[in-house]
Amino acid sequence: MFRWEKLGKIFDPTVRDTPPWMQEFAQAPATLIFEDRVRVYFSCRPPADENGQYVSYSAFVDLDRRDITSILDVSEEPILPLGKLGAFDEFGTYPVSVARVGDKFRAYFGGWTRCESVPFNVAIGCAESSDGGRTFARLGDGPIVSYSPDEPFVLSGPKIRRFNDKWYLFYIAGRRWILDNGRPEPVYKIRSAISLDGVKWTKRSKDLIGDSIGDDEAQASPDVILLDGKYHMFFCYRHGKGYRGKEKGYRIGYASSDNLLDWHRDDSMAGLAVSEEGWDSEMVSYPHVFELDGEVYMLYLGDQVGRYGFGAARLISR
Amino acid sequence: MNWIKRGKIFDPTQHALSNGCIDFAQSPQALICDSFVRVYFSTRARDPRNGKFLSHISYVDYSNSMDEIIDVSRQTVIPLGGLGAFDEHGIFPISPLRVGEQVYAYTTGWSRRVSVSVETGIGLAISDDTGKTFVRHGSGPVMGPILNEPVLVGDAFVIQRNGRFDMWYIFGTKWIEPSGNEPSARVYKIAYASSVDGIEWVRNGDAIITDVLDKDECQALPTVLKIGERWHMYFCYREATDFRSNAARGYRLGYAFSEDGRTWTRDDDNSGIDISIGGFDSTMMCYPHIFENAGRVFLLYNGNDFGRYGFGLAELEQD
Repeated sequence: MFRWEKLGKIFDPTVRDTPPWMQEFAQAPATLIFEDRVRVYFSCRPPADENGQYVSYSAFVDLDRRDITSILDVSEEPILPLGKLGAFDEFGTYPVSVARVGDKFRAYFGGWTRCESVPFNVAIGCAESSDGGRTFARLGDGPIVSYSPDEPFVLSGPKIRRFNDKWYLFYIAGRRWILDNGRPEPVYKIRSAISLDGVKWTKRSKDLIGDSIGDDEAQASPDVILLDGKYHMFFCYRHGKGYRGKEKGYRIGYASSDNLLDWHRDDSMAGLAVSEEGWDSEMVSYPHVFELDGEVYMLYLGDQVGRYGFGAARLISR
Repeated sequence: MNWIKRGKIFDPTQHALSNGCIDFAQSPQALICDSFVRVYFSTRARDPRNGKFLSHISYVDYSNSMDEIIDVSRQTVIPLGGLGAFDEHGIFPISPLRVGEQVYAYTTGWSRRVSVSVETGIGLAISDDTGKTFVRHGSGPVMGPILNEPVLVGDAFVIQRNGRFDMWYIFGTKWIEPSGNEPSARVYKIAYASSVDGIEWVRNGDAIITDVLDKDECQALPTVLKIGERWHMYFCYREATDFRSNAARGYRLGYAFSEDGRTWTRDDDNSGIDISIGGFDSTMMCYPHIFENAGRVFLLYNGNDFGRYGFGLAELEQD
């Protein structure tokens, strides 16, 4: 089992003096290590509009590499504007995962549109940065990983990784929409795709992680790290209905693999649960695990799926 | 090309259609059967929840000469997609294709959006009962948006040759912002894709038919037939805005030819067909479908009002 020391909340947009587009939420943290800092990309929102509808932007906060609880910088503008009229990403760019490609940076992001019968649809877009990862420009107006017969909608939560000279994209795909007291809620599962260049992707078309709480379990944030020759995936999962409270809300799960294809789920290994009290006492979700100077850290969201920011934990033993 | 018009041959208001459909018989497309020709079309019901249209597939069977109606479908040919699916709010049109003992239907599925009216994708449904009913291959599309085909992929026309599948289809390049009384308007172009299995498609985002109006010309529903050594493509095209009631800006049939099936020369002047002085196709012509049966070449198409009151037929005059 992984044993973690919780370091508390690291970044909360609601208590800092942040711009209007970063009023609430710091969701789905994902890091990139720089010489003196750890850049954490995350997704945030301005206040909801008069219809209670949100848009979401992605941004970053730079943490001190010697002390990741210390904030050095916060992005002054979104790393990517919203998409064009009618495009897949017109109403949101969330979450985002960034990789280095030579002297450039490439971001994979969930693009959100609004639908009539269900609230939204999501597909995965791609954008590149030539200014050190501060701002990005789309490779095209459409998505880079899109819907297919067995992944019909809600392709989101991309996590970009490179192992063994190949690109791996871990993401989620919607399986079905279910009604919870008349409100459509998406059920999604963890999937993957492989690429030689990061642009042309071949889907594996297979669920990576079996369900542990029934067919309507929703799985998200498939975050993969290679440690000591073995691949570890931390992810989060929730019930299909009534998941906005503590009982059926997000928890952090775990799976391991030797080949990135076949995964063995064992949530008892994850080692990061809700706290007795405080900012992560109802749910924990959207884990991201990274190595830094001999330590292993996890960034994750607490209650209300990151409305009040993200926190960190340090690995003590495993 | 010289076409002899035979007038309107199907009026949906004169038949009892399934799914409560009353008006529209759009985008007729033929499947040649043993002793008859099955013509699929899209017809419409009202969504009881909000009064908006839902497009459903039906068919009418004709004698080989196309002179006589033999039967009209009474059953649901393809049910609409489930909650949140790409084809939840309509299927319009389908391209039927015999593949072994089965019939494939390449569907264009419609789902409603909030900031614009709709998004579409190309699905595949397969029939094991000679095309009477179809079952989806998965609940998602076989072709949706990609990097450089960002929206509104649809209008597949598929053939098989030399062990491969060829598809001509359209993709949207953009939506134009609304202005005045004009709602947001889409722009789409004709493209080509190929496939080994009919499911995984290779495409590149190139528009293959040059514009004759301007860069916002909308091109729809390509249909392709090889006659002798030459490939012929019909399609319809219109201005991007003010096309619904302004006849001068509405759909007309366009034409292109090719020697290899890949590189096309647009040549509308030699399409051999245009709107009539009066009658069902006097202000608009759209959604063409050309097919060959027993040595005769036919053109099915819609006329005024996007086919609200049915479709017509023309036959190619051959030497």
